[in-house]
Amino acid sequence: MLILLAAIFVLHIACIIILLTATIDNAWWVISAGNMPTDIWARWVFVNNSWHSIDLPSTYPESYLQAVQASSVLACIFSIIGIFVFVAQLFTLPKGQRFLVSGVFQFLACLCIMIAASIYTDRFHTNEQSLGSYGHCFILAWIAFALTFLSSIIYFVLRKKTAE
Amino acid sequence: MLTFLALTSVAFLGIVPEQSQAIAIYTGWERHALVGSDIRLSCSFFSWRWTSEDVTFSWTYRPDGSRDSISIFHYTGGAAYVDNKGPFRDRLEFVGNPGRRDGSILLKNLELNDNGTFTCDAKNPPDIVGRPSSVRLLVFEKVPIQAGVITGAIIGVVLGLLVLIVVIYYLMRFLVARRVFSLSVSKHGKKKKEGSQQRQLWTPPPLTCYPLP
Repeated sequence: MLILLAAIFVLHIACIIILLTATIDNAWWVISAGNMPTDIWARWVFVNNSWHSIDLPSTYPESYLQAVQASSVLACIFSIIGIFVFVAQLFTLPKGQRFLVSGVFQFLACLCIMIAASIYTDRFHTNEQSLGSYGHCFILAWIAFALTFLSSIIYFVLRKKTAE
Repeated sequence: MLTFLALTSVAFLGIVPEQSQAIAIYTGWERHALVGSDIRLSCSFFSWRWTSEDVTFSWTYRPDGSRDSISIFHYTGGAAYVDNKGPFRDRLEFVGNPGRRDGSILLKNLELNDNGTFTCDAKNPPDIVGRPSSVRLLVFEKVPIQAGVITGAIIGVVLGLLVLIVVIYYLMRFLVARRVFSLSVSKHGKKKKEGSQQRQLWTPPPLTCYPLP
């Protein structure tokens, strides 16, 4: 029982770490010419033997970019609140009840990162498939979607047993 | 001690007015406008002296990327002189009130070429020492969304809704609990009253013993 609890806790922490990396590290797309990672906050260029961060070009659809930024930040926030709620529910939930509120927060995080990744996939770099490739943050965002979904399902199904 | 204090205060009174005789001119820092719209560039000043009759305002314009300034407006001797040859002919209007230290101008029908820096210089004789102040004009074809406004709005609204839902949930629980509590108290009170009344009419039932099986 303790191992199951530890595994669920580790899964949730892993979700948080993946979400934070996907949001903060600017590498949703990598431009082949110069291997420059870019999105969603800034772009990295290699000039004079050092990396500089520059603003994203104004040709980006501004409102969609800000929607992606907002929902990925919200996903991180919901997941972090979820871990605290889970720990609180561990101690306060009556026996036999389900971890509903933690599951709700993880589900919201799943929803938000899905919105962010979907908007990004649909609206950005749709005509540039030959000019670059998706970076590690993009892949991490979709992995985070799968993991948070799994985590929320576990919370909805799990019941608090005795001798916790 | 007292004489020392008196001397220092007189010295301060002597020093401060000389420094404060500089005139301070205020304009905006940056103004954004759409092509074809009108914009009012405000200019006012602060001076320790009363507003004199010889107060002057002058505006100069330096286009983006150019080093030369061109004078476009001058107010002196109670009369305003607007640009009638330069880039703003027929588009400039004086909308200020020199009596109230306001030297604002109105630019009409903006074009993309009007991007640049506008400098206002005001003089209030004998208060003439001061720095002119500049305002940068940016003309856009469509209004750009400032970085982060939509992001912040979405995050703020969602978190606000979350807080609202939590607050309402706990409020409902509190109110329902209170209602239940007050109902149970009133029921308990009623029962007690009825019980005390009935005790006078109620006689205990006779004790009967059943034989053990």
